[in-house]
Amino acid sequence: MASQAFAQTGRLFRFAIKKDWLKIFLWLLGVAFYVFIGVFVFVEVYGDPAEREALSYAMQNPAMEALFGRVIGQNNYTIGAMYSHMMTILGFVLFAIMSILLVVRNTRSEEEDGILELIQAQPTGRIAHTTSAILLLLVTNGLVLIITAALIIALGDTSMTVEGAFLTGTIYASAGLFFGAVTLVTAQLSSNARGAMMLAFSVLGISYIIRIIGDGGVPFLSWFSPLGLLYNTEPFVNNYWYPVFISLALSLLLTAFALYLKHKRDMGAGLIADRDGKRHASAFLKTPVGFVLDLIRTPLIVWTVSMAMLGITYGSVIGDVDSLLGGNEIVSQIIANQEGISMAEQFMAMILGVLGIFSSVPAVQFLLRIREEEKKNRLEKLIAGTRSRYHILGTFFLISAVIAIFMQIITSFAFGGAAVVMDFDVDFLKVMLAGLAYVPAIFVMIGLATLLVGWLPRLTSLIWLYLGFVFVNLYFGELFDFPQWLSALSAFHYVPEIPIEAWSWTVVFGLTAVAVGLSVAGFIGFRRRDID
Amino acid sequence: MEKVVEIKGLKKVFGKTQALKDVSFDVTKGEIIGFIGPNGAGKSTTLRILLGLIKADDGQASIFGKDVWNDAVEIHKRVAYVPGDVNLWPNLTGGEVIDLFLSMRGQKVDKERKEELIKRFEFDPTKKCRGYSKGNRQKVALIAAFAADADVYIFDEPTAGLDPLQERVFQKQAREVKARGASIILSSHILSEVEQLCDTVAIISQGKIVESGSLNELRHLTRTQIIFKTKEDVPSLADQDFAHNVAHEKGETIFQLDSDKMAEFLRFVEPYHVTKLESAPPKLEDLFMRHYETTKGGV
Repeated sequence: MASQAFAQTGRLFRFAIKKDWLKIFLWLLGVAFYVFIGVFVFVEVYGDPAEREALSYAMQNPAMEALFGRVIGQNNYTIGAMYSHMMTILGFVLFAIMSILLVVRNTRSEEEDGILELIQAQPTGRIAHTTSAILLLLVTNGLVLIITAALIIALGDTSMTVEGAFLTGTIYASAGLFFGAVTLVTAQLSSNARGAMMLAFSVLGISYIIRIIGDGGVPFLSWFSPLGLLYNTEPFVNNYWYPVFISLALSLLLTAFALYLKHKRDMGAGLIADRDGKRHASAFLKTPVGFVLDLIRTPLIVWTVSMAMLGITYGSVIGDVDSLLGGNEIVSQIIANQEGISMAEQFMAMILGVLGIFSSVPAVQFLLRIREEEKKNRLEKLIAGTRSRYHILGTFFLISAVIAIFMQIITSFAFGGAAVVMDFDVDFLKVMLAGLAYVPAIFVMIGLATLLVGWLPRLTSLIWLYLGFVFVNLYFGELFDFPQWLSALSAFHYVPEIPIEAWSWTVVFGLTAVAVGLSVAGFIGFRRRDID
Repeated sequence: MEKVVEIKGLKKVFGKTQALKDVSFDVTKGEIIGFIGPNGAGKSTTLRILLGLIKADDGQASIFGKDVWNDAVEIHKRVAYVPGDVNLWPNLTGGEVIDLFLSMRGQKVDKERKEELIKRFEFDPTKKCRGYSKGNRQKVALIAAFAADADVYIFDEPTAGLDPLQERVFQKQAREVKARGASIILSSHILSEVEQLCDTVAIISQGKIVESGSLNELRHLTRTQIIFKTKEDVPSLADQDFAHNVAHEKGETIFQLDSDKMAEFLRFVEPYHVTKLESAPPKLEDLFMRHYETTKGGV
């Protein structure tokens, strides 16, 4: 009977490629772009060993190590070492997300939609649908490996050896496979796609946090995070392969466990029981705002907690920056290039910017929820009611805007609070002000999303592309020397970096005006267009 | 008759709710069985157990003499299934999905038959599934099922979303596959459809089969509606234990008679000079309503 369980895996796999190839292709394009940018820019911009050394010192502080991982190969900070250090952790997260989405999309989502029921009523094995998803995961991550290795070999300098290139590709793929395997299990635990995804993202988040604590001074902890574990391969520096095998073995175990659960359980069932719901709609739920808030309740809680934790994490290390790097001359030249401003403040400005971008993710996501409702044909029920279209989009818009402010307050408060508790020399009010300074920029982001909802409803995901650009611009803009006109396209570019720069009402009003303009245009479009 | 499907004492618990308490029935070769019951009675659960999608906690279910859970793949080569709510991949066309389902059966796609069905159901297979209405998605599953050379067809409210004309096409197809010796299990809320199509009926209520047999057999179990008029007054008909729901209207008496007590009633009413007597045979609907009311705590 065992072989029967896999029956038709091949056919389902070919079919999965047919329906999923475009998404996978776009993701792989993103992977190629990520690797290309890293290798190309490091080779082009950081040819000078002295500059690289300076940067390696600059990176050697808790805040940076929390984000990128501990500095590796510092005594010989080659382009290869620099690439491994700066690009690995971020890459892991990116590829993990790719694999999590791929697995949920091809397993629990189809089960929830009832598609799996039709497939399994055919002469297909009980786990064939899952094994086909596993094949898809393997092939996709295999391509990640090949693309990464090929690009590094093609574009890298002499420090980027062939072995290192393959190891880099392998750890990217291993991270994808590991989190794909985690998702295979969570897809069995939760009875719905969203739950499976949330659980998988929680594992990713926890892995990231364990790694931060590990790299923050408890090295053995890093080994317990799949991200830290694979980071310890140190491609181009030491080329350790054994963490890869540990990771692959764990992935294999998780996969086997997932298949065992799938084979045993009922269609549509999850191992985590669903709770009973309420019998009646509360008075709050019956109001438009209450209704939308209820829709986004769980993600809102998750986002609030995550942002607070991020704020606390960064806030609790920010003060160390001075003591760690204060004595280093080269670093002072590069980082604290402005006289009279402490290193901590410079880092603070940068970190708050990053947190501001993170805050805009839930704000935009919750606005786009209206598209989700529309695609599921639920929006028509709302519009068919007595509420006008302005009223409905306005509700989503208002909540999105309030959440933007709320998130910024939470993160700044957590950040500043943690810094104050740690007794660092940080002005709490200035931190709050710095956080709030980003709110108009987030408004522009929401305005742009509204515009897309109004005029290009099928292309609303373009907003994430813009968000990615804003992030790259803020993070790497100066590192990679982006031209001025390009940076000018980012709303975040204009926000004053408090405490380095001063609060500017001009910027606040300017950005808000742009946001209002975009939003109004979006509202007009939404009123005029057809509902899908 | 050769038994194709055998179900005995099926039980299934979901969390705290016992979805199936005791489900038993058989389906013979070439038989169409109507599987009816109120929402939540356990129809879909039973069908999903038959398809090996969920596992029964107790009892046996077999198709072609094989265990529905362990031999699902073998069984499914000769079984076709259409659920009441068909969801499909949004970015593929209906035609592609039909071909996929047929190819999974290991059969060569019989193009002529497929085209014939597409024509009969007036279906456009070149559109992407995201654009199909509920009825059209339903047609995808129906066409794939009827194009397959199956020996057992399992339909779970297959005509929900179809217009009356398409419903008729469905019935015609169902009769055709029956004619070539296939069996059909039809779960439906459209009782007229079941009445026209089915040889036998199994009624499920609260996880139990409460009635099963041929429609004729079942009619004996139920009540006949009687309308009569007499010259002389009839003393308290309501006191007789064969009479139910007695009502008087325009000098006529209307009541429900236990079908096997006809002789008793005639003897009872004979002395009072009957001027009018009408009897209406019970419809499936009456049968069904009786059990439906039971689940609501009536009778």
